[in-house]
Amino acid sequence: MIRFEEVVKKYGDAVILDQISFEIKEGEFAVLIGPSGCGKTTTLKTINRLIEPEAGRIYVEGKDIMDANPVQLRRKIGYVIQEIGLFPNMTVAQNIAVVPKRLKYSKEEIEQITRDLLDMVNMSYEEYAHKYPSELSGGQQQRIGVLRALAASPPIVLMDEPFGALDPMTRNVLQDEIIRLHKKLKKTIVFVTHDMDEALKLADTIIFMDQGKIVQMAGPDEMLENPASDLIKQFMGKRLSENGVNSLTAADFMKSHPASAYRSDGVKKSTQIMARRQIDTLLIKNEDETYAGSVTIGNIRKFGKQAQTIGEIPVTPNAVSYTKDDAADSFEKLLDSDSDFVVVLHDNDTIAGIVTKTSMARAMADALWGDES
Amino acid sequence: MTFFDLYGQKIITAIGVHFLYVLISVSIGFVVALVLGILLSRVPRMARFVLPLISIFQTIPGVVFIGVLFLYLGMKPVTVITALAIYAMFPILKNTYVGLMEVDASLIEAARGCGMSPLERLFEVELPLAVPSIIGGLRMSTVYTVSWAVLASMIGLGGLGEFIYIGIATNNNALIVAGAVPAAVMAVVLSLLIDLFKRRSVRKAGV
Repeated sequence: MIRFEEVVKKYGDAVILDQISFEIKEGEFAVLIGPSGCGKTTTLKTINRLIEPEAGRIYVEGKDIMDANPVQLRRKIGYVIQEIGLFPNMTVAQNIAVVPKRLKYSKEEIEQITRDLLDMVNMSYEEYAHKYPSELSGGQQQRIGVLRALAASPPIVLMDEPFGALDPMTRNVLQDEIIRLHKKLKKTIVFVTHDMDEALKLADTIIFMDQGKIVQMAGPDEMLENPASDLIKQFMGKRLSENGVNSLTAADFMKSHPASAYRSDGVKKSTQIMARRQIDTLLIKNEDETYAGSVTIGNIRKFGKQAQTIGEIPVTPNAVSYTKDDAADSFEKLLDSDSDFVVVLHDNDTIAGIVTKTSMARAMADALWGDES
Repeated sequence: MTFFDLYGQKIITAIGVHFLYVLISVSIGFVVALVLGILLSRVPRMARFVLPLISIFQTIPGVVFIGVLFLYLGMKPVTVITALAIYAMFPILKNTYVGLMEVDASLIEAARGCGMSPLERLFEVELPLAVPSIIGGLRMSTVYTVSWAVLASMIGLGGLGEFIYIGIATNNNALIVAGAVPAAVMAVVLSLLIDLFKRRSVRKAGV
């Protein structure tokens, strides 16, 4: 659908795009991301010839865009910018009609399109069509910005940080809407952002750029799992510790503050703790807070009558992990042992928490579906 | 015989002539300035030289300019109108240029991105958005022209200036007032009318 072949763009001596080549398939949601000045916006703007490269070829639907009239080309490519760019001298309806009007759609057709589009973002035609942009909220304005880009049903839509200036709540809502629109309309979307969360949420393919080059082009899962450079890792920083199970530690998934008792605690007190917390096993600590083992309700029943303190009852050893161990390791230990939990210890052998099958299920859900669950 | 019996008819004629001078010269100046302003805004690099030049030219006193034109064109209304039109041009030219240059760059980019040709962009986005500034310039030059048109009488071509000059020459205060007051009223009324027009056009544009 969109193919770059060794595209070069320079401003004076500064190389903005350094022989980049890639292909975006039809219907794909491609997100260009990278640090400021990496060339992502320049890349986007070469597609509709707002910027023209010095060398290389760009093909849109198989045709070299340098052979096309730029004005005609742009009418077939939707364009949404961060500053929204609604014409303040035109109403919502007139803004949406900008491209269809140029393509000589009939009046009735344009009105129908406007109605349908407004309907798609749950804005009523009667209420909004004849308002001026200044009468709308920022979120509503950018919705119209997106609709204007879609009005002539172009096969390709370019979006240059469209939600960058919106507040986080509105941004989230608009992201969801664009996902919905993309699923419904099956456009090829090229989307620029510097927000990795946004990229991971929206993209089929993420194109990570740095210093005018493509560092990695991969799906969100692949990029999370195998980031190609430290810079990408850094960009995903927060996301990695939330998502990639591989890099997560036992501490990320354990339940902290599990029920525990000192060896010297009375049997009665200990059973009361267990009754209150509705558990059948109690962690036992030595007097110096280090982990000693656990007693089950079975053992308490068996030996409790003779014993004064819980320490006199035989302890069951449990599988043990340390807080910095891989979460995956502790999950394996859990599956290998007969016990319902793995005890997680701090480096000094004091109790940090326990990992149960519930924690494991949560980790798997996160890895599979991101942090929405 | 009262003052009005004596001069009433003459004053009304003078007001008419004066108004015609203003109307014709501002109209011509407006069209020329608009076109020049648009052309300048297409090549902002040139504007950097042209606008200061115009500012300097503007400081030449109208009397001198009309005097010079009189030498070449003679004692005809065209002399007065040419001079006034040129002076009327400046504020409009400047405001047209500034108004066009102040259109938000993101709107220009949006217009390009939407596949508007340069002309469509100019007429559908840039000019409508520059309208308030352009009309501001028009108002300024109209008010100026009303007062500059007084100079027409300097070369004996009538208008309200005639009363003022004769009044000064003959030490007749009534005559001075008879020329000055209608000119002042004309300036105020025209300015208000243009303001009204501006407010309406701005509201329509929703800017």
